[in-house]
Amino acid sequence: MSVWNPENVTDVAESIGIASLNREVVEHLSRDVEYRISEVLTEALKFMRHAKRTTLTTQDVSQALRLLDVEPLYGYDSTRPLRFGEASIGPGQPLFYVEDEEVDFEKLINAPLPKVPREISFTAHWLAVEGVQPSIPQNPISTQSNAELATRGPGANSTLAALSGNDNQGVKPPVKHVLSKELQLYFDRVAPAIMDETNEDYRTAAFASLKTDTGIHQLVPYFVQFVANKVTHNLKSTFILLQSMQLVAALLENPSLYMAPYVPSIVPSVLTCLIGKNLGSPSDMADDVHFALRDFSASLLSSIARRYGPTSSTLKPRIARSCLSNLLDSNKPVGTHYGAVLGLTFIAGAAGVRSLLVPNLKAYDAHLQRILFDNSTGLRRPEAEFVVRALMRALEVLEQDAVAGMQNGHPEGQALRERLVEAIGEVMGAAVFESGRQGLANAVLEKDLAV
Amino acid sequence: MAQPPPPSRTASVGPPNVGGMGAPPASTPGGPGQNSQQNLNQIVLEYLNKKGYNRTEAMLRKESLNVDPNGIPVIGKVADSGGKKWSPSFRLVKNWIEHGLDIYKAELVRLEWPVFVYAFLECVCECFYDEAQAFFNEYKGDFEEERGQELQQLARISLPEHVQENKLAKTYREHQYAVALSSMANATLVEFLEARERDGGSVISTILQNHIKIVPMNRATTARGLQKLMEEKEVENKRGVMWQGEGIPGHYPGSANTDPNASSALSKLALAAMPMDPDLMEDVRADLGQEDSLHPPAPGQNSLVDQFEQNIKQEPQDDAAPNRDAIPFPPSTARDVAMEVQKVRENRDRFRIEGRTGGVGPGLSVTMFTFHNTFDSVNCIEFSGDHTLAAIGTAESYIRVWSLDNRALASPHDPPGFQASSSRRLIGHSGPVYGLSFSPSAAVPEPATNGYTTGASSPDSQPRYMLSCSADSTIRLWSLDTWTNLVVYRSHNSPVWDVRFSPQGHYFVSCSADRTARLWSTPQIAPLRLFVGHDSDVETIAWHPNGAYIFTGSGVGDKTLRVWSVTRGEQVRIFTGHTGNITAVACAPNGHVVASADDKGEIMLWDLRTGQRTKTLKGHGRGGIWSLDWSVESSVLVSGGADKTVRVWDVQPNKETQAKANGESGGGAKIDGSSVGGGGGGAVSKTGGKTKGPVVSPDQISCFQTKKSPVYKVRFTQMNLVMAGGAYLELA
Repeated sequence: MSVWNPENVTDVAESIGIASLNREVVEHLSRDVEYRISEVLTEALKFMRHAKRTTLTTQDVSQALRLLDVEPLYGYDSTRPLRFGEASIGPGQPLFYVEDEEVDFEKLINAPLPKVPREISFTAHWLAVEGVQPSIPQNPISTQSNAELATRGPGANSTLAALSGNDNQGVKPPVKHVLSKELQLYFDRVAPAIMDETNEDYRTAAFASLKTDTGIHQLVPYFVQFVANKVTHNLKSTFILLQSMQLVAALLENPSLYMAPYVPSIVPSVLTCLIGKNLGSPSDMADDVHFALRDFSASLLSSIARRYGPTSSTLKPRIARSCLSNLLDSNKPVGTHYGAVLGLTFIAGAAGVRSLLVPNLKAYDAHLQRILFDNSTGLRRPEAEFVVRALMRALEVLEQDAVAGMQNGHPEGQALRERLVEAIGEVMGAAVFESGRQGLANAVLEKDLAV
Repeated sequence: MAQPPPPSRTASVGPPNVGGMGAPPASTPGGPGQNSQQNLNQIVLEYLNKKGYNRTEAMLRKESLNVDPNGIPVIGKVADSGGKKWSPSFRLVKNWIEHGLDIYKAELVRLEWPVFVYAFLECVCECFYDEAQAFFNEYKGDFEEERGQELQQLARISLPEHVQENKLAKTYREHQYAVALSSMANATLVEFLEARERDGGSVISTILQNHIKIVPMNRATTARGLQKLMEEKEVENKRGVMWQGEGIPGHYPGSANTDPNASSALSKLALAAMPMDPDLMEDVRADLGQEDSLHPPAPGQNSLVDQFEQNIKQEPQDDAAPNRDAIPFPPSTARDVAMEVQKVRENRDRFRIEGRTGGVGPGLSVTMFTFHNTFDSVNCIEFSGDHTLAAIGTAESYIRVWSLDNRALASPHDPPGFQASSSRRLIGHSGPVYGLSFSPSAAVPEPATNGYTTGASSPDSQPRYMLSCSADSTIRLWSLDTWTNLVVYRSHNSPVWDVRFSPQGHYFVSCSADRTARLWSTPQIAPLRLFVGHDSDVETIAWHPNGAYIFTGSGVGDKTLRVWSVTRGEQVRIFTGHTGNITAVACAPNGHVVASADDKGEIMLWDLRTGQRTKTLKGHGRGGIWSLDWSVESSVLVSGGADKTVRVWDVQPNKETQAKANGESGGGAKIDGSSVGGGGGGAVSKTGGKTKGPVVSPDQISCFQTKKSPVYKVRFTQMNLVMAGGAYLELA
C-alpha cells in the first residue's frame, strides 16, 4: 500500500468536479503521487548536498522542481528551516502543518524596518600548529572527543597520541606535553637572568640568546605570558618594565620566530608601558625615568605595527583608538598623555597625526596651558614640557610629509602666530611659531586650509 | 555443506516448501472427496490405453499432474506462481549462499544485490504491486548499509511506468550488472540453480542470464583475492568485498574498456609533468640565476637554479609525458616567468613533509578561515593561488571576494572618490553558485625597494580571472581587474555543479547534472570536448597536474570515478567501489595517485598506472567530505568535511603499517596468514566488537576539530601550509 493516503486523491478529484472515481484508479494515482514526491525529494537532496548543507530548505525543493521541468511553488521561500506545528485529528492521526502566524497588516506597515542582518565576514586562526591544536578560544575545547577522533586498533600509534596529548586525557593542556626538559630548563634560567638587576652580563647574554636562538619557538607563549605577568604586577618598578619590553623586543628581533599569532597578547603589555598611569615608584617620577620607558615602548609598538599591521586589519586602528582616548582624558596624568602622543605619532604616521591629533590639539591646549602655567604644583611643569616636545615631534612628522611649494601667500609675523594659535591652540601655536620654521607652520596650516 | 541434499531432478515428489501440491495419481492415496475426479481420469486413461492413443494418454497424464483433486490447476513450480515467485526464489538462493562454503561466500554474496534489484523491478513491471512492496521490505535490511541511497530511490517505484521513467531503474534495466565469480563458485551456483529449478532456481537463472554479467576471475587472482577477503571480511562488513569491476559499467577493473572481447591490458597513460615551453624555460632559468646572485642562498640551501634543474629532472623515465603540441597554449608572458620563478622559490623554501618516519606523521600547520553571519547560505569557498583572495559562492546567486591581507580591491571603473573596500560582490548569476575557480597565480613578491621587502605580494601576482558555475546552467568568467563579468558560457542544460581551471590556465572543465563534463577554453564560448558516459550527475571534477587528463566523480546510481583524456575525449579509466555520492576528487602532484571521497565518509586512493585501489581511508563522519588536497611531495593527504574536522592522512601503501601492527601485537596470530588457512580467526577476536561509531583507520595522522564550522575547502600551499575554509553555524 502506498504511504500517500488515497483519500487525498479522492478529495482532489472531487474538488475539480470528478465525483466518482474508480478505486483502482485512486490507488494507482496515489502510488504515482508518492513516486513523484519522492522523486522531487531526491533531486532536492542533491541541491542540498551541493550547497554543503545538512538541512533541506524550500529553495532546494523549488530548484528540484525547476530541474524536473515543473513549475516551482511560489510563496514558500524561507531562509530558515520551517517550523512545523502538530495537531491531532483523531487518535494516532497527527496532522502536521507549517506554523504561520497571523499578522496584522496595519501593524506590519507601521512597524519599523527590521534590522539589517550583519555582513558576512571572516576571521582567521590557527587550527593546528605543527600538528598540535592550540588551545585558543577559536578551537573547540574537548579533551575527550579528541580521543574519539584518534585512530584505534592495530596500527594506531601511541607516539602520535602522546604528541597531541591524548595518552592520558584531561590532565594537562596539550601544549604542555611537548615542552622538553631542555626547553624548560632554558626558560627557568633565562627568565630570572633577564630580571636580574645585579648582573649585567647575565642580562646581555640572555638577550643575545633570545635574539638569535632558533629552537625556542615553543617557548614563545611562555615568554609572552611571563611578560604579561611581570608588567601587571610590577608597575612600580621601571627596571622590570624596561627589561620586559626589551625581552619583547628581543623576541621580535629573532628572525626564526614567527610572532604574528602572539601579537594580540603582546600589545596590551606594551601599551601599558606606553600609556600607563603611574609607571615607576614616586621617586622615579622626579627623574623622568619613565619617559625613557615610554619612548622605548613607543618605538617597540611602532615596529610591531609596521611588521604585523598588514596581516592584522584591526591592529593599528585599535592601538590608535586607545591612544587617542587616553590623550583626550584630562584626568590622566601627563605621562599618559606623553605616551599617547608618541603612540599616535608612530602608529598612525603623518596621515594619522593630521586626522587624529591636529583637530584635537586645540581642545587639549587648554589642559596643557593649565598645567604649564599653574605654578601651584611646581613638579608638573617639566613633565608638561615633555608633552610639548612630543607634540612638536608629531607636527614635524607632518612637515616631512607636507607638499613643498605652498609657501606663498601665507601671512607673516604676528598674523601667522594668530593663525597658528587658532588652529592648534596657545601653547603649541606659540611653540611652532617660536621654532621659526616656515615649513612646519605651513604643514600645520595646510591641513587647516584643506578642511 | 549445510544445505539439504538436493532432490533429483526427475523425482516426482514435490519440495516441502510448496505445500498442497498435487501428486501423481499412482503414489497418492486418494481422499474420499477426490474419488470422482480420480475415477474419471482413470476411466479416460483406460479408454485411451485400450484405443492405443499412446501420445494422447501421455499428454493427459502429464497435464493432470498440475491439477489438484478439485480440478483447479496446481502451481507446481515456484516460477509459475506469479508475483509470489520472487520472494521464495530469492530466499532460496540467499539461504544457500549464506550457509554455503565460506570460500565461495565472499564472492557469491555480491550477487544478492543485483538479483534483488532485478527481481524487484521485474515484479513491479509485471504489475504485482503489493508483492513487490512486500518483497522489497522483506530483504532491504540486508543492503541498508551499503546501498542506502539506492534503496531510497528504489523504494518509491511502485508502477511499471516508474520503472520506465526512474533514472536509476533505467540504468539497471538498460545495462548488465557485472559481478566477478571464480569458475568454481560459478559452477556450484549453476548446479544448485538447476537442481532446485522447481523451487525458484529457474527464476533466479533467468535473472542471471538476462541482467547479470558474470565475469570469470582466474584462479590466481582469486586465491590472492580470497586471502584478502578473509582478512578484511570481518573488519569491513558481512557483505563481502566489492570487486573493483563490479557494477553497471561492466569494465575491466581500472580500465574503461567495456568490450568483453578486448584484452584486459590497460591503456598506457602519460602521467609525467607537461614539458615546459623551451622559451619559457630559458627565461625562467635566466631569472633564477639573477635572483641567486641578488639573494645568495643561505648555507645548506640549494640555489634556485639547482632547485629548478632538480625539479625538471625529477621525472622517472618510465612515464611518458603528454605531447606539448596536443594541448596548445598561448605564448608565455613575463607574468608566467615571474610565476614560475616564484614556484621554484616556494618549492625550495617549503616545509618538507617526508611522510611517516618512525611512526610519527609530520606535524602540519593549518590556518582556518571561518566565515561568520552566513546563515548557511555559503555554497563554496575558494582561495586564490597567491593566497591574497578568498571567494565564496552563495545561495543568493552572488559571489563575494575578499582580500585576505585587507588590501582595497580597486577597479579602474570606480567612480572618482569611491572608497574601494577589501571586498567585492560579483552579481550576475540567477541561481545558487556551486563552484568557483581562480585562474592560476603565485605570490610574486614585490620587487625589493631599497633593500626593504614588504612581505606583501605585488598586485601583479593576483589572479586575473575567476570562473563560477551555478544552478542557472551557466558558467561565467569574471575579470578580477575590473570586477565585472566578461563571458557567459552556455551549453549545459542542467545546473552546473563544479568548474575547475586547468593547472596551466587557459582551459577549464565543468560538470553538470546533465550527466556530462565539458572542456572549454576561455576565449571560446562553445565547449571543446564533451565527456559523456556517466549514468548519473557528474558531481565533482579535478585536473591531472599535467593538464592532459581530468577526473570526474558521479553520484547515486553510478558512483564511479572516471578518468578522461583531454586530447582524445574518451575514458581511460573507470574506478568503482564508492558506496556513496562522490563529493571530492584530487590528484596527487606526482600524477600517479588520485584520491576520491564520498558522502559516507570514505576516501579511496587509486593508482592510475595499474588501475587498482591502493587504500581506503575511513574516519570522517557521514555527510560529505567537501574537499581534498595533497601535499607538494604527494606524501600526505588532507581532507575536510561536514563533520567539522580537518583530517590528515598517510597515503603510503599499506604494507609497512600492517607489518608494524603485527609486530606490535606481540606476534600471536599472524593476521595476513600466508601460511595458516584460518588465520582470519585471530584477527576476529581482536578487532571484533571493540569499535563503536565510525571506524578510524590507522592511516589517519591527525584530526583537528573546528568549532561548529563545517569545512568546505582545504588547500595545501606551495610551502605545505594548509589553508582551510568553513562557515560558522550557530544553529548546528
